[in-house]
Amino acid sequence: MSAVTFAPPERSNSALSLASGQFLGNRAALVSFVCFVLITVACLAAPLIAPYDPVAISLSDKLQAPGMAHWLGTDYFGRDVLSRVLYGGRVSLMVALLVVVASTLVGVPIGLLAGFAGGRVDNALMRIMDAFLTFPPLLLAVAIVGVLGPSIENVMLALALVRVPVFARIVRSSTLSIREETYVKAARVLGSGWVRILVTHVLRNAIAPIVVQITIVFAGAIVSEASISFLGLGAQPPSPSWGRDLNEARRFLEDAPWLLFGPSIAILVSVLSVNFIGDGLRDALDPRAWQTLRRATARGSAAQGATPGRSQ
Amino acid sequence: MSSWVYLSRRLIQLPLVLFVASLTIFSLLHITPGDPVQIMLGMETSPDAVAALRAQFHLDQPLPMQYLIWVGDAIRGDLGNSIRLSQPVLHIIEQRFPISLGLAAAAMGLTLVVAIPAGIFSALRRNTFVDYLITGLSIGGIAIPNFVLALVLIYVFSVTLGWFPITGIGSRARVGDTLWQIYSPFILPSVALAAAEIGLLTRFMRSSMIDVLSRDYIRTARAKGLPGWWIIVVHGMKNAMIPVVTISAIQFGYLIGIQITIEFIFAIPGMGSALLEAVVNRDFPVVQGLTLMTAVFFVLANIVADTLYVLLDPRIRY
Repeated sequence: MSAVTFAPPERSNSALSLASGQFLGNRAALVSFVCFVLITVACLAAPLIAPYDPVAISLSDKLQAPGMAHWLGTDYFGRDVLSRVLYGGRVSLMVALLVVVASTLVGVPIGLLAGFAGGRVDNALMRIMDAFLTFPPLLLAVAIVGVLGPSIENVMLALALVRVPVFARIVRSSTLSIREETYVKAARVLGSGWVRILVTHVLRNAIAPIVVQITIVFAGAIVSEASISFLGLGAQPPSPSWGRDLNEARRFLEDAPWLLFGPSIAILVSVLSVNFIGDGLRDALDPRAWQTLRRATARGSAAQGATPGRSQ
Repeated sequence: MSSWVYLSRRLIQLPLVLFVASLTIFSLLHITPGDPVQIMLGMETSPDAVAALRAQFHLDQPLPMQYLIWVGDAIRGDLGNSIRLSQPVLHIIEQRFPISLGLAAAAMGLTLVVAIPAGIFSALRRNTFVDYLITGLSIGGIAIPNFVLALVLIYVFSVTLGWFPITGIGSRARVGDTLWQIYSPFILPSVALAAAEIGLLTRFMRSSMIDVLSRDYIRTARAKGLPGWWIIVVHGMKNAMIPVVTISAIQFGYLIGIQITIEFIFAIPGMGSALLEAVVNRDFPVVQGLTLMTAVFFVLANIVADTLYVLLDPRIRY
């Protein structure tokens, strides 16, 4: 009977619980989420769990194959690959996180402003955004990093700059459609200021595409950072970096192919898991998918309620 | 008819897009405090030499003036001279661009040859083991960064098996070279470059094919008693190809942009490695010229994609 007397919670709660229910029901997304959390925790805990100092040179141990002492082998300078992968992940994930935060914080307000103000403001802002989109993103990022000078901070800056237009565009198009909704007009009539309308109504309804885009940009940032570091324009030696370490692995393909393994798998697993999390979130945040889930739950609880009745 | 009107309208907008793009490149490249001339000549040069060189590259002019000089020259087909290589930027582009274009074309050709049959097959065998396998491989192909795949391919096929050479694209062909000697260096780079595109287009082809196969005209064709392969190829594939072809045009422009890592690994003298050299040497005229050239190509690819869409699907009217 408890299932029947279950009081329907508030609308926002129910949306959240339905979305999380949908997400948790998606096996790929769930496994990916666990993978991603494990990677993040392992990288954050690198100082505690890494078996060696990632930059300690020990020439007598150079280019050792994977074994008990070094699970992923050692590089040309005798540095432990596993430790470097763990420490390198801190840089990669931190860069991806900051790129997402920075490009969201700049892109979302631009999109909101363009979509809501319309007219000349919209035109001016979007033409600037379009200008960035006329370049292949990686090439533009390489050019910017090249000008600013090779460093991991500049990679971050360049990648964030390149991703701003993506957020601006998505938020603008959501804003354009939400702006015409009756509840927004009602709020306006009731005298809400436009900042309030933007934040409480427009932004709240545009949150689903933004969240999905965040996962895409996060995965993209991991790959771009690795690519730029691989080209020698990102993380500088001796600091560990997935991309940079693959560049060094490239020179010892014949003698020490195992050097490829650690950083490659680290990149691949992080990118894949973030992609699957994004797919799961896309489905979870789609209200059309909730409908079926809600119906299924309703049917389930009705059946539960009915069975004891019949037995009595 | 209307598609040609649409195309011409897009082409008229092109100069405007390029104007904004050139302004973007210019402002991005001039936010840096470093003086390229000083870097190039070193510290112990006479101020006169520095001043002369600055004047030669118009670096003594105010920024808006520098921009106008650059754009004015660019319109007349002069993208300036490389600071490092003392040759015209246009000359570098002429040498490098065909190589990048050739590699991108090889990758795109490979993509279409693999992705279209794979997508169709996956759609016809929906929710079977083969479908899951193809989908899994596609997702893997999309997720693996191209330089990682390139390294794995080099290790397996060049280092271990010794089937393909690692480098050799762009080296001068000698008399007596076999076709294999000329074209084999292209194989690994194009596979590495194509993997993500194959994954992406297979996914598109699959969902597009599934969509088309559920249409009424397919049921009609079945009811008419047409043979199965005829329905799949003529009615199904022809219609399902429309979104795939337009997307591949966009992706072609994108390939030129992402092949920089591939050119780096395989020592291919294309646009990407030229940009990398210019960036490392802080050779601003070359960086400007190459990025502008890529932007032109990128925008053109998008226009071609939009036009193909209109041409192939008569239902769409702008």
